[in-house]
Amino acid sequence: MDYGVDGEDTGPRVTIRRTNETTIDFMLSSTSLSLANSLRRTMLAEIPTIAIDLVEIEGNTSVLPDEFLAHRLGLIPLSTRNVEDMLYTRDCTCEEFCDNCAVILRLHAANRNSDENVKVFAKDLFAETVTGQPIQDSRYQRNGATNGFGEADELPPRGQPVIMDPKGNGSLICQLRRGQELRVRCIAKKGIAKEHAKWAPTAAIGFEYDPHNKLRHTTLWYEGDNAKEEWPESKNINWEEPAPDGEAFRYDSEPTQFYVNLEGTGVMPPDQILHAGIKTLQQKLATVIQQLSTTTDSGHELNGAAGDAGMGGMSPPDAAANGTAYGNQTTYGNQTPGYGQQTAYGGQTPAYPAPGSVYGGMGGATPYGRSGY
Amino acid sequence: MAQTDGDREMADATAGADANGADGEFVREKQQLRLLPGSTDTAASFAFEKEDHTLGNALRYMIMKNPDVEFCGYSIPHPSETVMNLRIQTWDNVSVFDVLRRGLSDLADLCDVVEDKFTVARDEFNTAHPDRVASK
Repeated sequence: MDYGVDGEDTGPRVTIRRTNETTIDFMLSSTSLSLANSLRRTMLAEIPTIAIDLVEIEGNTSVLPDEFLAHRLGLIPLSTRNVEDMLYTRDCTCEEFCDNCAVILRLHAANRNSDENVKVFAKDLFAETVTGQPIQDSRYQRNGATNGFGEADELPPRGQPVIMDPKGNGSLICQLRRGQELRVRCIAKKGIAKEHAKWAPTAAIGFEYDPHNKLRHTTLWYEGDNAKEEWPESKNINWEEPAPDGEAFRYDSEPTQFYVNLEGTGVMPPDQILHAGIKTLQQKLATVIQQLSTTTDSGHELNGAAGDAGMGGMSPPDAAANGTAYGNQTTYGNQTPGYGQQTAYGGQTPAYPAPGSVYGGMGGATPYGRSGY
Repeated sequence: MAQTDGDREMADATAGADANGADGEFVREKQQLRLLPGSTDTAASFAFEKEDHTLGNALRYMIMKNPDVEFCGYSIPHPSETVMNLRIQTWDNVSVFDVLRRGLSDLADLCDVVEDKFTVARDEFNTAHPDRVASK
C-alpha cells in the first residue's frame, strides 16, 4: 500500500454506495482506467459458471423443436455454489462426464388431461448424480422463493436452477397442450461467457467515470448552443466537483474515479462475482508468468536440448510434480486447458536470477501466494 | 545476448518429457507465449495466444510505470484471431524479461490490493446496514 506525505493511504479505494441481493453499486478510486476496465471485462466474460450444455431428448411432443428447447434450457440460470471445486469436463480424468465435472438435470412434464396449457418451469428440473441418485439438500427448500442470494451458501446446491420470482416458478421453458409431453436429460457443465453467453454471471455492469467530462474524453453532440442543456445529468455528478467556469482545460489529468454498478443474474452473489473477477485476472497473470518461466533471461527456450546444458536431466513428468514445484497452483490447473504443459518442467528449478524483481521465484514465495492459488 | 536466428519459438514440451513415461493424459498445448522474430534482450515483442485487451491494456499500463521502460505498447493484429502482441523496449541494458515479469507481478499485487479494499468496504457496509445483508 502506498502512503502519501501525510501518512494517509493513497492506494486504491473502494466505497460501496448501494447494495441489494443482486446488485452492488460502488465507487472505485485511485486506480487506473486500464485496471478498472480489465476488471469489468473479466467479470462480464471470464468468470466460470455452470449452465446446461448437452441435452438428451428422450421425448418431445411440444410445439417447440428440439434445438429450440435445448437453447432455452441452456439459458436457465443454475446455481454456482462451489463451482471453483468443479472441473471442466475437458480437464476431468473421467470418461465422458462424472459428478466432478457435470451436473445432470432431468425434466419430465406432461399434459395428460388438462384443457389449460401446462406450463413447464425451471422448478421442474431435478438434479441427480451421474448414476441416477437424486440430489437433495435438506437445508434448501425448493418451494421457497427468494429475491436473490446475498451469501454464497444461501445458493441452492450446485447445478440446481436459481429461482428468483415471487411465485417460486423460475423461468418458463415451454407450454404443453393436452396430450403433449416433454422428457429430457440435461448435462450441465462449467464454462465461461467467452464461449457462450449462457455462462455469464452478470446481467449488466454499469461503468462510468468523469460525469462532468472534465477530461474531454467525449464530445457531446448538440443542436442549439449548449450541450449541457440538451444532455441529461448523470446520477454520479454529485460525487465529483464540476469544473469551475473559465478554468483552462487540464490536458494531463487522468481518470481516477469509477462508478460501477454490478448486477448479477442470481447465479452468484455479486460479492462473489467481483472476487471471482479479480481472482480470474490474477490467474491469467500467473499463467503468463509460468509461460515466461520456460525462458531464460536471454530469451532462449529452456525446454529440450537447447536447455540441457544448464538444466541437467529433467525429472519424469507425473501428476505429483504438478503440485510440488509450484506450491498450490493445482487449484487452477483445472481452469485452463494449457496446464497439460506443467508436467514437462515439473522438476526444474527456476533459472533466472531475480535481483530487484518483485517476483521472487516459483514455489510459494510469490507475493500473491496468499490469494489462494 | 542477441538472438542470432529468426523466430525463436518456444517449443512445446519435449520428447524427453514424453519418453519418461508420461501417462496418456498429457496434453500437448500450443505455446501461449511466443517471442517474435527480431527480438533482442532489451527490445522484444511477445505474442500472447488467447489474450485480448483484458490483459493487454492492464499489462501495458503497469509496464509503462517502470522507469526503465523506453517503449511499451500492445496491439491486436486482427480481431478474428485471438492473438495479442506486446512490445517492450528498455533503456540501459535492462532485460525485457525482467520488466515483463515485474509488470505481471505488480499487476497481481494491484489486484490483491483492490480486492482487500473491496472486502473491507463491503464488511463495513454490511455492519452499517445489517438490514440489507441477507436476502431474506
